[in-house]
Amino acid sequence: MEERRALEPTFKERAERHAPLLMSVVVFVLIVAVNRFLQPNFFNRFVIRSNITTFLPLIMAAIGQTMVVLTGNIDLSLGSIITVVNVVIITLFGKMPEATGLQLAIPILVGVLVGLLAGTVNGFLIAKLRLQAVIATFASNLFWMGLALAVLPVPGGSVPWDLSSFYRSWFLGLPMSVWFLLLVMVFWALLRRTRLIRYFYAVGGNASNAYRSGIRVEWILIGAYALCGFFAGLSGLALTLDISSGDPLVGHPLTLSSITAVVIGGTLLSGGSGSPIGSILGACILGLVRNIIFFANVPPFYQDFIFGVVVIIALIVSSLGARRRTA
Amino acid sequence: MAHLRTEGICKNFGGVRALHNVDFSCARGEIHALLGANGSGKSTLSKIITGVVAADRGTVYINNRAAAIHGPNDMFAQGISAVYQELSLIPQLTVAENILLGQEPTRLGGINSKAAWKRAAEVLQTIAAKLDSEIPLHVPVRSLSSAEQQLVEIAKALAREPEILILDEATASLREKEVQVVFEEVRRLREQGCTVIFISHRLEEVFDLCERATVLRNGEVVATVNLAETTEQDLLRHMLGEVASVDSLSVPAPQDRVVLEVKELSSASSFQRINFQLRAGEILGLGGLQGQGQSEVIQAIYGARPYTGRILFEGQEVQIHKPAAAINSGIVLVPGDRHVEGLALQRSVLENVTLPSVAHRSRFGLLKMGREEEVTAGVVERLQVKVADVHLPVNTLSGGNQQKAVIGKWLLTQSKVMLLDDPTKGVDVQARLEIYRSVEELCSQGVSFLLSSSDNKELIALCHRVLVMYEGQIVAELAGEELTEENLVAASMRITPGVKGVS
Ligand SMILES: Nc1ncnc2c1ncn2[C@@H]1O[C@H](COP(=O)(O)OP(=O)(O)OP(=O)(O)O)[C@@H](O)[C@H]1O
Ligand SMILES: [Mg+2]
Repeated sequence: MEERRALEPTFKERAERHAPLLMSVVVFVLIVAVNRFLQPNFFNRFVIRSNITTFLPLIMAAIGQTMVVLTGNIDLSLGSIITVVNVVIITLFGKMPEATGLQLAIPILVGVLVGLLAGTVNGFLIAKLRLQAVIATFASNLFWMGLALAVLPVPGGSVPWDLSSFYRSWFLGLPMSVWFLLLVMVFWALLRRTRLIRYFYAVGGNASNAYRSGIRVEWILIGAYALCGFFAGLSGLALTLDISSGDPLVGHPLTLSSITAVVIGGTLLSGGSGSPIGSILGACILGLVRNIIFFANVPPFYQDFIFGVVVIIALIVSSLGARRRTA
Repeated sequence: MAHLRTEGICKNFGGVRALHNVDFSCARGEIHALLGANGSGKSTLSKIITGVVAADRGTVYINNRAAAIHGPNDMFAQGISAVYQELSLIPQLTVAENILLGQEPTRLGGINSKAAWKRAAEVLQTIAAKLDSEIPLHVPVRSLSSAEQQLVEIAKALAREPEILILDEATASLREKEVQVVFEEVRRLREQGCTVIFISHRLEEVFDLCERATVLRNGEVVATVNLAETTEQDLLRHMLGEVASVDSLSVPAPQDRVVLEVKELSSASSFQRINFQLRAGEILGLGGLQGQGQSEVIQAIYGARPYTGRILFEGQEVQIHKPAAAINSGIVLVPGDRHVEGLALQRSVLENVTLPSVAHRSRFGLLKMGREEEVTAGVVERLQVKVADVHLPVNTLSGGNQQKAVIGKWLLTQSKVMLLDDPTKGVDVQARLEIYRSVEELCSQGVSFLLSSSDNKELIALCHRVLVMYEGQIVAELAGEELTEENLVAASMRITPGVKGVS
């Protein structure tokens, strides 16, 4: 009797499909365990709040980066867009010292909108002017950096007290930063059902075949960068609420960290497969490794070295899942 | 009245003239064949009709109205849908996702996955229902065999409910039975008034399915014929100018020396306990129905698939666990799916052809460009690869010419065993003969071949012996007098000639 292929996904097939994600879950659990061992109060609710609040900017940046990586592109200007959002929000707060209540939402909305716009500009450069993503976003990175410096040449400013205390408050037993994250995850759960997201995967899988299938590839790319910019806006917001000040260089390290988080999360840089859920894990893993290095009392000189080694190990482990799948 | 008509279509790619003043027309409800040798412009004409390629000059008329088709969406709006020679699937997406790509049903702004699943299943059923093995909707298409991918591509084109359907070598990787199923569906569409343009190198298919044919040679229309009043010889003469025949082949007898021997070769569920010996200068065929493990055996010997059992090369046991090891021993592969394994598509013809043999010709790690051009020109000449300039990227060649380039690159290496996995898929009659000639010539120089083919005629024309595989096992060996098409078909289906039924 011929061995028939199952017409419904079997357990093995499901597992294989999610192998990269499972790998990052494994790494995540391991890292949490180590962290817990070194830091006994790790599961204390204030520690959790502080951790999530610290990780949130990178988490948002990694989700944004995932959008463009899925299409087979990359955004090297992500960190600078986050910086722009940060300085715009802080500057606006500075301009409206009397603001209370809902007025406080204005700088936030403007900030996120600026992120969205910046991303859209990147998208146009790549889709319409057909520039290579690496080159285009490297160049626009300089532009956003310059823009941030022009808006706020020196670090300073602050977030109104009402708002930062709101961000640190609890609602239904959960800190606001966790609600923020949950909201974004719900947003993604809805978003991933749209054609737009399906087409990110299609374009990343094979752009010319996607085109032949009637997909407007240019607009999909612009959509991916716009969405990336939107998440950069959220990242900038989370960052601003966390550090409660403006800094024209603050976002810079987030570019490369976001790419690393995406890869640790099992998304292939070549495009077409992966998910932002993996990237969220990837971002948390990166943050937790920093924690571990701190609590393990590693001498400052070696911290970057150890960090690098651990990140490479995490990348190798998560790529095991991806490699199995493509074999 | 013509349903689809082109007038004065011209297209040049750089210096290459792909189409010149092409007037082509087919009536509503007609199945019209588009014939021509490799590189004669068939795919280019299809792509101009579908808007993927823009013509330099000329007009496409649909229902006698000039149709402005500037891209795939215009084409869909005109009721045109196409199966592309190189397929238009997204490897990572599932079968269901691919079938409906670009026209997913939506609900509340999101994809209505229930409706989509139902629709995809419905469309796939129209062809897959009549086949023995089902294609699961949930698996990524990259995990399917090339025949299955081909069927999914066809389903995807059907999902658009076309009024004009273009099939560019849609049957190239299908076996007889699958071809018949596809034909059945095409005929049903014709009954509904659908017009079909059918491109194939298999003339018996053309006679079976089509009413009229237009023949292209070097980008020009040389004839439009009624197939009922035409012979195969006529068509070949139109396509090639002169007629060549497979009968002229005479493969020399193999030597006694055994070059390759496999013992109890097995690999998971794909094949079990394969034993055979391959002698110097022998052409050994692997036949049977599609997907009975033939490709997998070849991959295992090439080191691209884990196996258990033993492989002896020139009497010595060898461990071949990656292709580099096989190539080092002198075992090379000409794959059926040249896009995946055979070529670096963005790179030039010269680089592709010379790559595996570069080491033989380099001095202190340096290459002489002139010499490289010379050897490439030799290969191009020998295999009649149609290319204006060997420095052009391989993906600008027509499908059949790309395949010749893959064979060409291994001609330059001093390989001892060549593994051919459906090597003439999508290759025209003339080029096929040239490839056979090259095989014949190499064979007389003592090179051995292991040939898997979906074309029984090819196995008979070339092979000394054919091993017929069924569900991963060798079930018959045919040689000499016994090597006939009838016996091959019977053995493939495990029917003893004369006795009906499955053993
Ligand atoms: N993008 C391109 N750039 C340059 N030349 C091209 C390109 N596409 C096709 N050509 C050339 O145009 C000619 C016609 O190619 P086409 O693919 O239409 O042939 P075909 O009849 O489909 O052949 P086959 O049977 O091998 O598929 C060939 O000489 C080919 O090299
Ligand atoms: Mg073609």
